Amino acid sequence: MNRLDLLSLLLGVYVLLYLTSVADSIKWLSLAMSSGATATISSANYCDSLVGLVKRQRRICKKNLEVMESVKLGAHEAIQECQYQFKNRRWNCSMVDPKSLFGNVLKLGTREASFVHAISAAGVAHAVTRACSSGKLTKCGCDRTVKGPSKDGFEWSGCSDNIAYGIAFSKTFVDAREKKSKKSGKNAGRRLMNLHNNEAGRLAIEQNMKVECKCHGVSGSCELRTCWRAMAPFREVGAIIKEKFDGATEVKSVMTKNHPRLVPTNPQFKPHTKYDLVYLVASPDFCEPDPKTGSFGTKGRVCNKTSKAIDGCELMCCGRGYETRKRKVVDRCFCKFHWCCYVTCQECEREIEEHTCK
Amino acid sequence: MAGVVLENLSWKKLIILGVFLLVLLITFFLVGGLVAPKPSNVVTVLGTKCYDNGKKLNRSKWFVSRGIHKCEELQNLDPTDEMIVNKSITEKQVVFSFWLPGPRGGEERKMTPLFQNMLAVLQVDIEHSDKVPLSKNPVLQLDVRLGARDEGDDEDDWKQIASSVEDRNLQCTLEKGKGEGYLYDCELLQLFELGSISNHYYLVNIRLPVNFLKGYNVGIGKVVDISIHLIHQNGGFTIVWMSMKSVLFVMVLSLLIWFWRRIMQLGRPPNLLERTLFSLGVVMSILDCPIELLQLGVDIPFMLLLNDIRQGAFYAMLMSFWVIFAGEHIMDQTERNRLSLYWKHLSAIIFGSICLFVFDMCERGIQLKNPFFSIWVTSAGTKLALAFIILAGIAAGCYFLFLCYMIFCVMKNISAKKASLPTMSQLRRKYYLGVIYRFRFLMMATLVCAACTVVFFIMSQLNEGEWRWGDEDLSLEFTSAFFTGVFGMWNIYVCGLLSLYAPSHKTVVEIDSADGSTEENVQLTQLPTTPSETSALQALTSKAAQD
Repeated sequence: MNRLDLLSLLLGVYVLLYLTSVADSIKWLSLAMSSGATATISSANYCDSLVGLVKRQRRICKKNLEVMESVKLGAHEAIQECQYQFKNRRWNCSMVDPKSLFGNVLKLGTREASFVHAISAAGVAHAVTRACSSGKLTKCGCDRTVKGPSKDGFEWSGCSDNIAYGIAFSKTFVDAREKKSKKSGKNAGRRLMNLHNNEAGRLAIEQNMKVECKCHGVSGSCELRTCWRAMAPFREVGAIIKEKFDGATEVKSVMTKNHPRLVPTNPQFKPHTKYDLVYLVASPDFCEPDPKTGSFGTKGRVCNKTSKAIDGCELMCCGRGYETRKRKVVDRCFCKFHWCCYVTCQECEREIEEHTCK
Repeated sequence: MAGVVLENLSWKKLIILGVFLLVLLITFFLVGGLVAPKPSNVVTVLGTKCYDNGKKLNRSKWFVSRGIHKCEELQNLDPTDEMIVNKSITEKQVVFSFWLPGPRGGEERKMTPLFQNMLAVLQVDIEHSDKVPLSKNPVLQLDVRLGARDEGDDEDDWKQIASSVEDRNLQCTLEKGKGEGYLYDCELLQLFELGSISNHYYLVNIRLPVNFLKGYNVGIGKVVDISIHLIHQNGGFTIVWMSMKSVLFVMVLSLLIWFWRRIMQLGRPPNLLERTLFSLGVVMSILDCPIELLQLGVDIPFMLLLNDIRQGAFYAMLMSFWVIFAGEHIMDQTERNRLSLYWKHLSAIIFGSICLFVFDMCERGIQLKNPFFSIWVTSAGTKLALAFIILAGIAAGCYFLFLCYMIFCVMKNISAKKASLPTMSQLRRKYYLGVIYRFRFLMMATLVCAACTVVFFIMSQLNEGEWRWGDEDLSLEFTSAFFTGVFGMWNIYVCGLLSLYAPSHKTVVEIDSADGSTEENVQLTQLPTTPSETSALQALTSKAAQD
């Protein structure tokens, strides 16, 4: 643990020196990788030891120490969800190393970058909301509607639901990186893109909440019915953002009245809404390894022989062809399950055919 | 010809009264819509997964989700989780712990008696997993305990309120095409209902013990999380509601006293309709009586049941009143004014009320003993509950058929009487005109009130169903306005009846003196029984001719 802490401290210093470009704005995601999942967050020093935060985020961290655990969890969930959603694509959200995360892929304003921004902003909102619900965070807001926060707010009209706080915190923390507006020149477009995609990710949560209701009037009749919003599981949020990734709009930054603005590159396309993802640069094809773009290439990737989609061998291997190998795998079968904790299975051996790209 | 206040009221006074009542009604609406918050609030608490490291199952130990006695928490229930594997934790050692309500704005929130009651529903998050499938219609068995503690108490001094082993039927669906890792869409399960809130904090501990032999908690899929949605009445709503009830209580009670004194002054025993109207007023004032205020000081767990009974009694009385009112205005020559004549209608009402009462006793009555009980969770209970509700529905249907038939009779007689009005003596004409006017007025008022109730009800339901985004731009709380508005409306209805259908004193003398008649008071609905009167004969013959 100590060695890890030292390492993260060093990395932190390194990152601080390094933080000059907006393009690195997803660096904070490396929180997901920092030390053990249950490391105690108790002192303000902790915030300084974290890798990948900007000054403003560090300040937020120090003010909201108890929330950081959830932020970490959110970042972790976001990365996992990204890898799940992209497991069949040429770029599979794989990480270069815990420090630089996805490598150079996200340095450019590609579709992939837009997805990672959206899913990470959503991940933080999701995790903070859950932590609020489980009572781990004491500071979750209690303001309510018209009259704003009042001292006896809870007694008078209850608190707003936890989602409001989760979303608000994600906005403060994740967007904090993008607030630097001194040099609004070249990077202004990228900053706008990041902010837009962060917001789109959070909106994916807000727009897909289920409304659940319960009747509890006289004798349980529906004379009195109370409804509340419930957050969709993160897997579904991920799927929704993935859909938005598929339909993302290419935009460019233009100056109107001295303010940069994003407009679709192709004027014939319908302008994007706040729910859509936007990107500035077309993605590379990710066929060959290229350190400049951060592409790993698809050599050695497993593909699906029968599929015609992107996970099919044709597309995945970029026409280079594939190798077929037969190998034996040990699988679990005839399982006996409990709802929790353990599954007792027998082991069965079977032979599978595996195709990998050349 | 004397009758009720309504007949002898000038148009001007009537309009003034009408406007006054309308203003009152709008006031009630606005009080509900602008002052009161939503009637109820929801607190969602996600269960903390506690690790019970005891060697033996110890049911008396509380697992607390936070604070200094926080349990050892499991991050994840996945079989591959490090902690699960290392400690070889089984499902018997997992306790879901909920501390209600949650902390907000930097401090622990407390429940208060102002919340009146609370209802907890359970949401089970079951992840789809090929390895742990969900069987068809699985039964979830909850080993559940409910404890409570006050703010000043020792941190681990949780007092048990109830404990039970409950079965709930799980009904879950998964959309096609959703695979590993997606959550099933499961129906909410009722957990408990409390009719009074006398503690600050509540703690719920749930275990899901597996029993392969009996098939409990087998095939319930991969449970990843459990959350509780706690619904309680809002304190603000309680305050507004109680203030309104107090005002209405005083209003109805004073009118009731005025009404009764007026009848006493008549110097004759009150007739059936007057007695019915008086009873309606009494039941209304019982319903208005803000006895819920006692809950602020005393713990009254049966308040929910009592409120249901009060409300049911009011509905039953209102329906009885309608049927007796219509019956007393039929204007055939039979001698009425006796309760026994209405046995058919009243027995339908009483039967329906008893059915609903039994149902309510089964649900809320048993909940007094075991708050986790719900009649709807077992299939036999559901059938029983449905049977009672259907019986009550049939009784209500019969009642409305009777009522409609009666109203039809009245209408028929009214048109018959109208045709023969010109041939009647002035006295008789006045009498019948009065009867017709009284009936029509009540009919219209009733229909307007009923229509308003239905419309407001639908509006509030629609309003509640769709979630409003950005609460701040909407300042009218419609659901509350519906409750205060409709409750106020029926109170005003009863007040209007009490004041307008009270026997009239003043004008009796004037008209009588104008007629030169010595007759004093004529009872509300009875025919003047002067046998020598020719017009009575005329009326009879004309009626016979029409029949």
